Amino acid sequence: MSTPASTPNTEHAEPPGVAARARGLTKAYGSGETAVIALDSVDVDIARQRFTAVMGPSGSGKSTLMHTLAGLDSVSAGQVWLGGTEITGLKDRELTRLRRDRVGFMFQSFNLIPTLNARENITLPMDIAGQRPDAEWLEHVIDTLGLRDRLSHRPAQLSGGQQQRVACARALASRPELIFADEPTGNLDSRAGLEVLGFLREAVDTLGQTVVMVTHDPGAAAHSDLVLFLADGRIVDEMPRPTAEGVLERMKRFDVLHGVASNAADGVAPDPADGVAPDAGDGPGASGAPPGPAPTLTKPAPDDPSPQD
Amino acid sequence: MLKATLRSFLAHKGRLALSALAVILSVAFVAGSLIFSDTVTRTFDRLFASTSADVTVAPKDDLDESVPTGRTPTLPAEVAKRVAKVDGVAATHVDASVENITVVDRDNDPVGSTTGAPTIALNWYKSDRSPVELTSGRTPSGPGEALIDADTADKKDVEIGDTLSVLAAPGSFKVRIVGIATFTTTNPGAALVFLDTPTAQTKLLGDKDAATSIAVDAAPGVSDVDLKRHVAAELGTAYDLKTAEEEAESAASELGGFLDVIKYVMLGFAGVAVLVGIFLIVNTFSMLIAQRTRELGLLRALGADRKQVRRSVLIEAVLLGVVGSTLGLAAGIGLAAGLIELMGLFGMNLKSTEMVIGWPTPFASYVVGVGVTFVAAYLPARRAAQVSPMAALADAEIAGVGRPLRMRALVGSVVAVAGAAALVGCATSSDTATAASLLGLGVVLSLIATVVAGPLLVRPVIRVLGGAFPALFGSVGRMSQRNALRNPRRTGATAAALMVGLALVGGLSVASASMTKSFDDQIDKTLGADFVVQNNAFMPFPPEVTKKVTDTDGAGLVVRSRFTPMKLRMPDGRTAETTAAGFGKQLDEVVKTTYAQGNSAQALAPGRLAMDRDYAKDHDVRVGSVLPVEFPGERKAELTVAALTDNDGAAGPGMEGGLFMGLGTLEKYVPDGQDSAVYVNASPGTDTEALRDRLDTALDPYPQVQVRDQADYKKLIREQIAVMLYLVYALLGLAIVIAVLGVVNTLALSVVERTREIGLLRAIGLARRQLRRMIRLESVVIAVFGAVLGLALGLVWGVSMQQVLELQGLKAFAVPWSTLVAVVIGSVVVGIVAALLPALRASRMNVLEAIAHE
Repeated sequence: MSTPASTPNTEHAEPPGVAARARGLTKAYGSGETAVIALDSVDVDIARQRFTAVMGPSGSGKSTLMHTLAGLDSVSAGQVWLGGTEITGLKDRELTRLRRDRVGFMFQSFNLIPTLNARENITLPMDIAGQRPDAEWLEHVIDTLGLRDRLSHRPAQLSGGQQQRVACARALASRPELIFADEPTGNLDSRAGLEVLGFLREAVDTLGQTVVMVTHDPGAAAHSDLVLFLADGRIVDEMPRPTAEGVLERMKRFDVLHGVASNAADGVAPDPADGVAPDAGDGPGASGAPPGPAPTLTKPAPDDPSPQD
Repeated sequence: MLKATLRSFLAHKGRLALSALAVILSVAFVAGSLIFSDTVTRTFDRLFASTSADVTVAPKDDLDESVPTGRTPTLPAEVAKRVAKVDGVAATHVDASVENITVVDRDNDPVGSTTGAPTIALNWYKSDRSPVELTSGRTPSGPGEALIDADTADKKDVEIGDTLSVLAAPGSFKVRIVGIATFTTTNPGAALVFLDTPTAQTKLLGDKDAATSIAVDAAPGVSDVDLKRHVAAELGTAYDLKTAEEEAESAASELGGFLDVIKYVMLGFAGVAVLVGIFLIVNTFSMLIAQRTRELGLLRALGADRKQVRRSVLIEAVLLGVVGSTLGLAAGIGLAAGLIELMGLFGMNLKSTEMVIGWPTPFASYVVGVGVTFVAAYLPARRAAQVSPMAALADAEIAGVGRPLRMRALVGSVVAVAGAAALVGCATSSDTATAASLLGLGVVLSLIATVVAGPLLVRPVIRVLGGAFPALFGSVGRMSQRNALRNPRRTGATAAALMVGLALVGGLSVASASMTKSFDDQIDKTLGADFVVQNNAFMPFPPEVTKKVTDTDGAGLVVRSRFTPMKLRMPDGRTAETTAAGFGKQLDEVVKTTYAQGNSAQALAPGRLAMDRDYAKDHDVRVGSVLPVEFPGERKAELTVAALTDNDGAAGPGMEGGLFMGLGTLEKYVPDGQDSAVYVNASPGTDTEALRDRLDTALDPYPQVQVRDQADYKKLIREQIAVMLYLVYALLGLAIVIAVLGVVNTLALSVVERTREIGLLRAIGLARRQLRRMIRLESVVIAVFGAVLGLALGLVWGVSMQQVLELQGLKAFAVPWSTLVAVVIGSVVVGIVAALLPALRASRMNVLEAIAHE
C-alpha cells in the first residue's frame, strides 16, 4: 500500500469544508391523504474528507436522503447543494453531468456492467464523459484496492467482494467530490464486507475522499467518522467516533420506540438516558422543524483510536 | 393452472402484441388471397356460365400458343346451317370474334386497355346470353357502324357519332359508333367493339363465309349433353364441341392462369410472413420464459409437473394464435377488398359486396395462425418445462449465456454440408428439371443451416462488424457491441428474421441481374438490325404495319419474323412441344447467328429447320434428320434439320430448343399468322436517325407497335425483368416490416431485462442521449448482422440460380453490387428505426426505480 505522503491528498489540502448541504429538504411520495413523507424538512451538512454513515430503521428515509443529496431523486421542498452548486432545480441533463463528473456511487448489488471488464468498469464514468482518466491516480487507486491482477476479468469472474472493490475503484477513479455508498456491504460476507469498509476508510484517510454511506449494519457504521441517525424522515441523532456497540444500543431504542409507539409521527427518541447523543426531540444537534445549524462533524483527533480492526 | 395461464397471457399482452402482429400479417395474406381468388372465380364462373352457349362448335386447336402467333382459327359459317337441322337444336348463331385487336380514336390513341386486358371485336346479335345490353343508340348494320361497351366509352370519352379505326388483320377500317352497350354482368376488363355479322366476317376474319365458332341453342327439354351428342353425330370429329359447362370451364381456366399468378404472389407473401413470423414468435416466447424462470420455478415448487408447465406455455401460444388469426382474418377481408378495388383500376369491375368467404378461408386462417404459434412456441415450452423448482429460490440474475451451442454447431454443419452438396449438384447438373429441384433443396437446406448455426456466427461476425464501435463511440459503442454478443441465441434468432428476407432478395436480384446481363449480351451479340418494329408485349400485328415499314422512305432491307407453336416427334422417341420462329431470307443482315453446322441459307431453305446444338444432341437430332412435325390446325409436315446453332439467341431468348425455319416454310403451314417483329436496316446513304423519324411518323396510326434500336430493345427487356424485381422488392418490404417488429421486440425485452443495468449507467452519469445511442447501435449491429448473413446466403443462392439459368441459355453472371450495398445501408436504417421505441423507453426509465433492489 502507498504511504500517505505519496497520495494526492495534498491537493485537497484546503481546509475541510462542506461537501454537500441540504436545507429544509422534504420529500413526499404521492399526494393528498395517501402522501407518505419520506424526508421531513431535513437540514444536513456533509463534511469534506470525512466518512459519514447514515443509519436508521427501514423506512426511515435514509436511502431517500442519499438519493436526493446525489441528485438521483427530485425533492418536494427545500434546497440541496453539492459543493457550491445548488442542485435542486437542475435539469436532468445537468444532473446527469453532475453525477458523472462530481459524484461516485456504490450500490448494494448490481454495481458493475456485466459486459465490461474490471478496468472498463472502473473508467466507465470518464469514458462516458469522453475524458482521459488521470493515469497516475488511476494506477494508485487500482493498487490501493488490490485489483491489479483482476483488471481484465469480467464481473461474472469476480467474487462479490472483488466486485464491490471494483465498484469502489470506479467511484474513486474520477476523484469525485462525494462518494455515495448505498449498503455497500449488504450482499457480502463479513470478511469481504470488512475489506470494503477498510477501503472506504482508506479512501477518506489516505486519498482524501468524502464518503457518505447508507447502512443498517452497526458494525459497518462503526467504520465511519460520524453516524447520522434517521427516523421517520428526520435526523434524530448523531454520533461522532462511533463504535459498533454504541450504534447498536442507539438503534435498539428505535426498535423499542417502534415497538411501543408504532405511530410516533415526530420520530422523537424518548430515552434521554443515553449520554452519547442528545435527545433528538429538543436537543441542540437535532434537525427538527426549526431551521438551524446542521450537525457538523468536528475533525477527529489524530490519536483517536480507529474503530476498525 | 388454467387461471394462471390466462393471467400470465393477459399480463404479457403488451409483449405478445408484436408476435400477434406477425401472426396477423401472415393470416391476412392467406385469408386475403383465398377470399380474393374465390370471389374472382365465382364472379367469372357465373359470367361464363351465363354467357356460354348450350353447345359451342369451334375449330380444332390442339397446340397451346406460348408465344402469340396472331392467327384466329376459323370454321366455315355454313356449319351453322348443318347444325340447325340437327334434332334438338332450337337455333344457331355464327360467332365472329377476334381478340387482341387494336382500335384507335381520331388521335391514334388506343381505345382499349393498355394494361394487358384484351380488346375484342365481334359480331352483334340478339341473345339472352350476351353479357351486354344496348343502353343507348341502335344496333350496328352495314360495314361502317359499330357499338362500343359503356365502360370503355366512359374511360376514353367515346360518344355516339364518333369515328374509330379498327386495325384488323385483313386491313384497318373506320367505323362510326351508333350505340353503346352496357355490361349486365361483371366486366372482366375487356374492351368490346360490336359489328354486324357480315362486317365482322369480312373485315375481321377476311372471309365472308368464316366463323370463329358456332353457338347452338338447345330446344326446350334437351340437355346440353344430349345436344352435344346429337351435334357430334352430324359433324363427326372435325370440330371441337363443348357444352356450356365445359366452355365455361375452359374459359375460366384460361383466365385462371392470370388469377393464379395473383394467388401465388399473395401466398408467397403469406409464406414470407409466416417464415419470418415464426422467428419472431420463437424469440418472444424464449425471452418471456427466460424472464419468468423464477415464476415457473415457483409453479414447479408448488407441485406443477413438467407437463403442466409445458401445457401452460402452449395454451398461451394457442391463445395468441386464436387472437392473431381472428384479427388476421379481419385484416384479410380488408386486404381482399383492397385487391378488388385495385382490379377495378385495371378495368375488372368486381364488387366487394359480392365477396365470397367460403369455409376453407377461416379454416386455413386458423390453421395457419394457431399452427404457426403452436409450432413456434413448442421448443420454448419444452425449455420452460425443464425449469427446476430450485429456480424459484435462486437469485434471479437472468442467464445471459444460455446453454452451449455444441448441438447447434453439429446440426448446423451437417445440414450445411447437405445443402452445399445440393447446390453443387445443382451447379453441375445439365438437366434443367434436376438442377431446379436440387436448387430448391439446396436453398431450403442452406437456409435451415444458417438459421441453426446463426448464433454461432454471432460472435465472430459481430466482433468484426462492431469492431470499430469502441473507437468510434467510446464506451457506449463498446457496451452496445457486447450487448449484441451477450446472448448469441437471441441475437441470432432476431437477425434470422431479417436474414430470410434479405437472402431471398439477394438471390433473386443476382438472378435478375444475371438475366439482364445475359439478354444485354445476347442483344449486343445477335441484333444487327438498325431497328426492330415490335409490340410492347410481343403481340403480333397486322400485315399493314409491315407494309408501312417497307414503304417508308429510306427503309432498305426489311426482314419479317413470326412465331408458331409446333409439336415434333424426335428421333429419341420423345415428343416435344415448343415454339419455332420463322425468319425472312436475309436473316444474316439483321440477326447474327453462330452456327455449329450449316448456315442461314441452308437453315432457311424450304422444308428445312434449324435448332440449338445442345437441344439437338439431347434428342439425338443430327443435320439431315427428318422430323415429323405438327403445326396448328392439325397441319402436318416433315422438316429436315439443315443447321445447328451455337447459341440459343436466334429465335428469341428463352425459347426451348431455339428452333427456326424460313418464313416461307412457316407461312406454308401456318398461313393465317401475323408478323411478330420486323427488322429494318436503313438503305445505303440514309441517315438512321432520319429513318427513325420517318418510321415513327409512318407508324403513328398503329400505337400497338414501337420502333426500337438496340438500346431501346435492351430497355424493353430490362423492363420485363424489372416487373419481377418489383415483386422481389415488395417481398423485401414485407419481410423487413416483420423483421423490424422482431428487432423491436428483442430490444424492448432486453431493455426490460437490463433495467437495473440501465439504472446503474444512468446513476453514474450516462446521459439519456448516450443511452439511446447505445441501444441504437446494438440494434444497428444486429440488423447489419442479419443483412450480411442474408446477402451472403443470397449470393450463394444467386450463383446457383444462375447455373440453372445457364441451362436455359442465359450464360452471363452479374452481381448487382449497388443493390447489395443499398440493402446493407438500408439495414442500418432498419436498425435505427427499430431502436426508436425501445431506446425512448429506456431513456424514460426512472433511474431510482431502475436501481431499486429487487
